[in-house]
Amino acid sequence: MILRYTFKERIVHWVAAFAYVYLLLTGLAFYTPKLYWLAVVLGGGTTSREWHPWAGLVFVAATVLMYVMWASDMRITEGDRAWGRAIGHYVRNEDKHLPPVGRYNAGQKYLFWLMFLGGVLLLISGVAMWFTSSIPWSLRWLRHWAVLVHVSAALATIGGFIIHVYMGTAVVRGGFTSIVRGEVSEEWARTHHPLWKR
Amino acid sequence: MASLAATFGRGAMTNGWTDIANADVILAMGGNPAENHPVGFRFVMDAKRNRNAKLISVDPRYNRTSAVSDSFTQIRVGTDIAFLGGLIHYALTQNRYHAEYVRLFTNATFLVTESYAFDEAAGLFSGWDTAKKAYADKSSWSYELDAQGFAKIDATMEHPRSVFQLMKKHYARYTPEMVSRICGCKPEEFVRAAELITSTFKPDKAGTILYALGWTHHSSSVQLIHTAAMLQLLLGNMGIAGGGLNALRGHANIQGGTDCGMGYHNLPGYVAIQKAGHQSLKTFIDAVTPKPLRPNAMNFYSNTDRFVVSQLKAFYGKAATRENDFAYHLHPKLPESAPGVDENWSWAYIFDHMFQGRMEGLISYGMNPVSNGPNSRKVLSGLSKLKWLVVAENFEQETAAFWKPNILELVGKKPADVQTEVFLLPAANFAEKDGTFTNSARWIQWKWKAIDPPGEALADQEITARIFLRVRELYAAEGGRQAASVTNLNWWYSNPSKPSMDEVLKEINGWAIQDIKDEKDPKTVVLKAGAQLGKFLDTRADGSTLCGNWLYIGCYPEAGNLTQRRNTADPSGLGAHPNWSFNWPANRRIMYNRCSADGAGKPWDASRPVLSWNGEKWVGDVPDFKPDSAPANTPAGTHDAGMGAFIMLPEGVARLFVPGQFAEGPFSEHYEPVEAPIPNPLHPSQSSNPAVKPFTTEFDKLGEAAEYPIVCTTYRLTEHFHYWTKNNPYNMQLQPEFFVEIPEELAKEKGIANGGKVKVTSARGSIEGKAMVTRRIKPMTVGGKKVYQIGFPIHWGFLGKGKQQGSLANLVTPTIVDPNSFAPEYKGFLVKLEKA
Amino acid sequence: MAGNTLELKRISASAAPPPGIRDTPVLAKYIDTTTCIGCKACEVACQQWNDLPPETTVQIGTYQTMPDTTANFWNLIRFSEFEDAGGFHWFMRKDQCMHCGDPGCLKACPAPGAIVQYVNGIVDFQQDQCIGCGYCMAGCPFNIPKLSSKTKTVYKCTMCVDRVAVGLEPACIKACPTGCLQFGTKEQLLEVAAKRVDQLRESGFREAGVYDPPGVGGTSVVTVLAHADQPELYGLPSNPSIPLAVSFWKAPLKWLGNIAMIGGIVATAIHYLKYGAKHAHGKDS
Repeated sequence: MILRYTFKERIVHWVAAFAYVYLLLTGLAFYTPKLYWLAVVLGGGTTSREWHPWAGLVFVAATVLMYVMWASDMRITEGDRAWGRAIGHYVRNEDKHLPPVGRYNAGQKYLFWLMFLGGVLLLISGVAMWFTSSIPWSLRWLRHWAVLVHVSAALATIGGFIIHVYMGTAVVRGGFTSIVRGEVSEEWARTHHPLWKR
Repeated sequence: MASLAATFGRGAMTNGWTDIANADVILAMGGNPAENHPVGFRFVMDAKRNRNAKLISVDPRYNRTSAVSDSFTQIRVGTDIAFLGGLIHYALTQNRYHAEYVRLFTNATFLVTESYAFDEAAGLFSGWDTAKKAYADKSSWSYELDAQGFAKIDATMEHPRSVFQLMKKHYARYTPEMVSRICGCKPEEFVRAAELITSTFKPDKAGTILYALGWTHHSSSVQLIHTAAMLQLLLGNMGIAGGGLNALRGHANIQGGTDCGMGYHNLPGYVAIQKAGHQSLKTFIDAVTPKPLRPNAMNFYSNTDRFVVSQLKAFYGKAATRENDFAYHLHPKLPESAPGVDENWSWAYIFDHMFQGRMEGLISYGMNPVSNGPNSRKVLSGLSKLKWLVVAENFEQETAAFWKPNILELVGKKPADVQTEVFLLPAANFAEKDGTFTNSARWIQWKWKAIDPPGEALADQEITARIFLRVRELYAAEGGRQAASVTNLNWWYSNPSKPSMDEVLKEINGWAIQDIKDEKDPKTVVLKAGAQLGKFLDTRADGSTLCGNWLYIGCYPEAGNLTQRRNTADPSGLGAHPNWSFNWPANRRIMYNRCSADGAGKPWDASRPVLSWNGEKWVGDVPDFKPDSAPANTPAGTHDAGMGAFIMLPEGVARLFVPGQFAEGPFSEHYEPVEAPIPNPLHPSQSSNPAVKPFTTEFDKLGEAAEYPIVCTTYRLTEHFHYWTKNNPYNMQLQPEFFVEIPEELAKEKGIANGGKVKVTSARGSIEGKAMVTRRIKPMTVGGKKVYQIGFPIHWGFLGKGKQQGSLANLVTPTIVDPNSFAPEYKGFLVKLEKA
Repeated sequence: MAGNTLELKRISASAAPPPGIRDTPVLAKYIDTTTCIGCKACEVACQQWNDLPPETTVQIGTYQTMPDTTANFWNLIRFSEFEDAGGFHWFMRKDQCMHCGDPGCLKACPAPGAIVQYVNGIVDFQQDQCIGCGYCMAGCPFNIPKLSSKTKTVYKCTMCVDRVAVGLEPACIKACPTGCLQFGTKEQLLEVAAKRVDQLRESGFREAGVYDPPGVGGTSVVTVLAHADQPELYGLPSNPSIPLAVSFWKAPLKWLGNIAMIGGIVATAIHYLKYGAKHAHGKDS
């Protein structure tokens, strides 16, 4: 067995994951009346509203730690671009036609950057929405853009999140265990990340 | 009030609040009714909305009234006489006056003595004694009389000594250019305003003037108001619906206070105070009863004896008998300070006497002399010399707290230096007691107690009664000077320590002590003993009637307390509401209403009839006239068109020329405020009012323009009521801090930022506050010199909610008073301004 | 007066259709800025009726009580000075919730029932349903809703709905001394306003007009302006509408997002059915 994620990495990931899920559920409650029941289930609208920004800070903090831990691994290389061009094979599970990848494939890297940049936008717009009262009326465009940016960024991360969860749990068998227990089999590593640990 | 009484016969708003809605042109000058009378201002807005009336605002500042006006003219503080004189000149030269009205209803036709003169270069009227620096002889300020003692007239008004011609000559100097030189507005601005204001000279146009303390708080205030009165007479605006000269009073019941003897110089009902020289009732009555000056004058004051005797009966009750001249000897007389010179106990003089150590104690009800008198330091210094001070108030205020270190340090003293014993009595406020308010419109309106006063607070009448009963006890037990004057006072109330206001109002109205007989038919009893008086002439001079204030007769007749009436019916459609409360005199809504109809008794304006002659009697409002006196005993168009329309004056007509009564002349003249930025452009050698006698104590300092170049004025805000609402956090929130309004150009010169701190200093003292830099006051050129004006509201001090910081406006105002009304010149003085 | 019913016409964030079925007239406040003297009686009447505590203010060089309305202060006279060829002007305008026909606050609100509009046009906040998110503050083009730091919920003028419901006029109208404020059906008040505007135009204010902006579906506040061509002089936006960001978010973006989210889930399901999982080589071989 090979250690793929250190204990620290796993903690950080799961903190981010739980925060994100909470943000997602409460966020969806505020997003549409049809899902407002989510806020009710999670302790009521006021509680959801009160905790959402704090959960956001937790998420952003975890994201920053991930950045510190993984940013160097996540650099997009020429190989990643080639992988990206061949993504159709990946989708069709024809992985042998893909250029070999290291610890992370380009999809994972793009996901990382999507979540990271999304997190930054959500943070900025979220802070503006948290303190709407303090934004002077002359800068009211900030209030308006904050709402728009927050929703747009959230939707983008939701897209990434769906793919991430799907890939991690359903498609790439062993992926979920790796982020829980930290270890993968050598075969797993060779198959999915041939250049990693070589 | 002194001016209105001298011009028309009575000292009060001539029309009424509701009547303002009938005006075509409304001149707001010497007042800021939107700011200070927002509720009554509804009728101004109604006139605008319903009649498309024009509102003209003339003021040193673009104020809240200007904000909703159709025309605004900025003038320099204290130059209103010049502006109004200019209007008179404009009306006379442009033929924009109501000639027929002037002939019928004013003394324009009267001839003035040959010795009368006005020296235009010196700025002085005949009779001036250069050595004494006073008008030693006012005999030339009078009419030429015929053998019977009646004034001679010239119905054509062409006689060179007719009032009309003299007036024309007197005001000929007030050209638009001269107005501009003095007031600082451009000549064309003045002409534009003049055209609008004088447009009401047509018989079917009505113009009203609204003024308030912006006119009364000057060293020439009485003459100023007289000038406005002249203008309204020339335009034919008196006595008509939508016309009048409307004094908007500064407090809810100040009219009531004045009516009921608040001034030192008169008793309730404007009965003159008895003076040292009036040793018997007869001498007194003879002295105060005028003789008619025209055969057709009603001269209503010939009834003075009835009012005086009935009042003495109210004061002394059973102790006042025919045998003892109705206890006239018990009534205090105003002493003389020097032979022939009466003592003066008006506001500024009270505090001068106090300062000079001539007073032992002061009882102060519902006022705050430290804050509201001019020159607070002098007041403080005066209070510190008293043995005792009693303050009855809703809150502890600056006067009751004058001995506290932070206030007393203003005069360089410490509490230990002051021996004054101070009593602060908690008093109920207006909502915590029954009684009446008499508003500007002379409506005596009953108000009911809304809530109980808090804690130990008592109504004023109870405080007064308790003090009186104890004092009377002491006099009865120990005697003393004039003890009988106190022990014999008529204190008839069912509950002597807490007189009910209902009983007091009954007494003010008065009742018959014995059966009152018809004066022409002695067999008919017109009023049974004990019955309340119904009309003025129910009073008798033989002691058979009792009446506290003859002017209020009719407010509480046998029918009951009419001041409680709240009937909104308006049969005339002119807002007269005759069954709403009671309107003195005699429930007349518009005074001098005889003037609303022409010589034949036909209303000048058929759309706004106030009174008309139906062949037998006058119908409409309660006639201010003999109800059955036909309008024309002689053909219309001559002066003697029936009985004179101004029944209170011995002339029977209104006075354009005021014989003898005013301190500074029979016509008005522009005099600069005592502290002025320029010498008087009309006559620099007599710049300010010659009749003004400045006080001379160490606190009465005056400043020169060289050191204090900026003109300053003071005012009030709609957000506050005087020095009272600074105790209410809601009012404080609306206007939290003392501020100074400063023209942009001046602020720039001095490096003052909006909202920054500034210091205003006069010869008397200085005050600090926030700067409000504004374009609402513009710099002006007067007498060829650039002059800045600033101003500030008065409402802050030492005690109250929020930031008080000792910002007492009156630390800087001068103790200069008008020589007739003795009102202080709060509204125009000199200062310098610095960034603080 | 008709229109006292508190039947709901619009409910924020409600999945269910609003129940309003009664056909009642829209009520409105009339504000004639040309006869307003800025006396602030309406400011205090509002506080008194609504039992709002006094605010602490500072003199910053204006007659205006404070820069903006607050959660405790729902009715503010705005003072502004302006000079043009026609001379100097000092405008005073009563500012409060405009009770828009199409309220941006209500549209932006995510909390079901926190903002409602009655059939009589009054837009009202229900603080017990409010979650304090502040979206309404982004949705309002007039800067009206204010968050209370004490309760963390949002407040504004209620048009004294508790008075109106029992046939009384709002407290501000009751207190107005000059008659520049009136209360009635919007239809009546538009007539009053039109008459006043004609009068003003005759008196030389050629640009006089009524402020009833269509961009927000009209307002239940009918404002007469002497310079209606420049409402900014009075602190009013010239063509207010629900901010584009808010309307974009509440319509196209929302649908786009819904499609994306649902589409994403569906796509993954289809993908799995078609391609299944990826297995490591070791096990694979």
